[in-house]
Amino acid sequence: MSETKASIWFRLLWMFLKVNILSPSGPASVGFLYEEAVGKVMSEERFVEAVGFSNVLPGSEALKLAMFVGFSAGGIPGVFAALLGAILPPTVLMLIVAALLQRFQHEDWLTGFVAGMSPAVAALIVVVAWELFRAGSRRKIDRRVALIALLSAIAFWFEFPSPLVLLGAGILGVILFGKRGFK
Amino acid sequence: MNQLLELFWIFLKVNLLSTSGPASVGLLYHEVVGKLVTEGQFVQAVGLSSVLPGSDALQLAMYIGYGVAGIPGGFVALIASILPPTVIILGVTVVLHRLRREAWLSNFIEGLTPAISVLMLFVAWKIFQKGGSTGWEGWGIGVVSLIAMFMNAPARIVVIVAGLMGIFFLR
Repeated sequence: MSETKASIWFRLLWMFLKVNILSPSGPASVGFLYEEAVGKVMSEERFVEAVGFSNVLPGSEALKLAMFVGFSAGGIPGVFAALLGAILPPTVLMLIVAALLQRFQHEDWLTGFVAGMSPAVAALIVVVAWELFRAGSRRKIDRRVALIALLSAIAFWFEFPSPLVLLGAGILGVILFGKRGFK
Repeated sequence: MNQLLELFWIFLKVNLLSTSGPASVGLLYHEVVGKLVTEGQFVQAVGLSSVLPGSDALQLAMYIGYGVAGIPGGFVALIASILPPTVIILGVTVVLHRLRREAWLSNFIEGLTPAISVLMLFVAWKIFQKGGSTGWEGWGIGVVSLIAMFMNAPARIVVIVAGLMGIFFLR
């Protein structure tokens, strides 16, 4: 390693600050990050591996990706440099906006704005649900996936607690998909 | 103090059970709306976090935390959201090569995914319904936004435009 350790940490911090100021959401940041990191602080292979793992493990995927990249570039301290760079921009922005908005809470125009935003937010959630569904089952949507979707729809309809439904769906996945063996 | 603990627990739970920021919206809705925040506040939070730059899941968490308990609430929500992935990553990097062969983990996630998608559809419907604008204006905004986003229009532009439409048509 030609660079000193401290300068790598600084570079990581700066890189994630930049990526998180420029990208509106977690998934969108993957593209930016690819350009910033691959070939400079890590190889393409390790990046692909990092993206894969961030999608599988629980928690916000943008953060996990950041920490993976940080780890391969600078070890454990690299993880924290990346984490800090990734959470600083949204934290500062959100606190400012939240403070401002609470003040306008009862303004007429804000009520209208939120009313207009609701259908669009609902539409956004539908789009994300669809993308998740497509991305989640890499193969064709087969009967097992449809069965899990159907069962969870019934469970939600009868207002079962959602964490339990999700846990159940995961366990069902282990049972149903387990039979096809390794692939 | 109790509220802070409750926030901490909710965000810990949500971040352990969802694999990505956007996927956490459905679960979070069930955990907080009606208990800690109102429907309107939640819509505001989702809209804003998709508009502002940076990880939307974190912004959503902080906005809700802030709404419930001010600045301390925002930080508690933030910490609870970053704790599970941080601990997991630190653990996983150590046993990385072993975990890759664990088929049950990817099977678990594959089973989880359709359920999360279904949950999000339910939440989308509730948000639409309780947003109050279920007249033709509301449906119009919803359908147009849906088409726009399926054609890859940037979500933040769509949400802002929909909000502006709301100022003119929905008060």
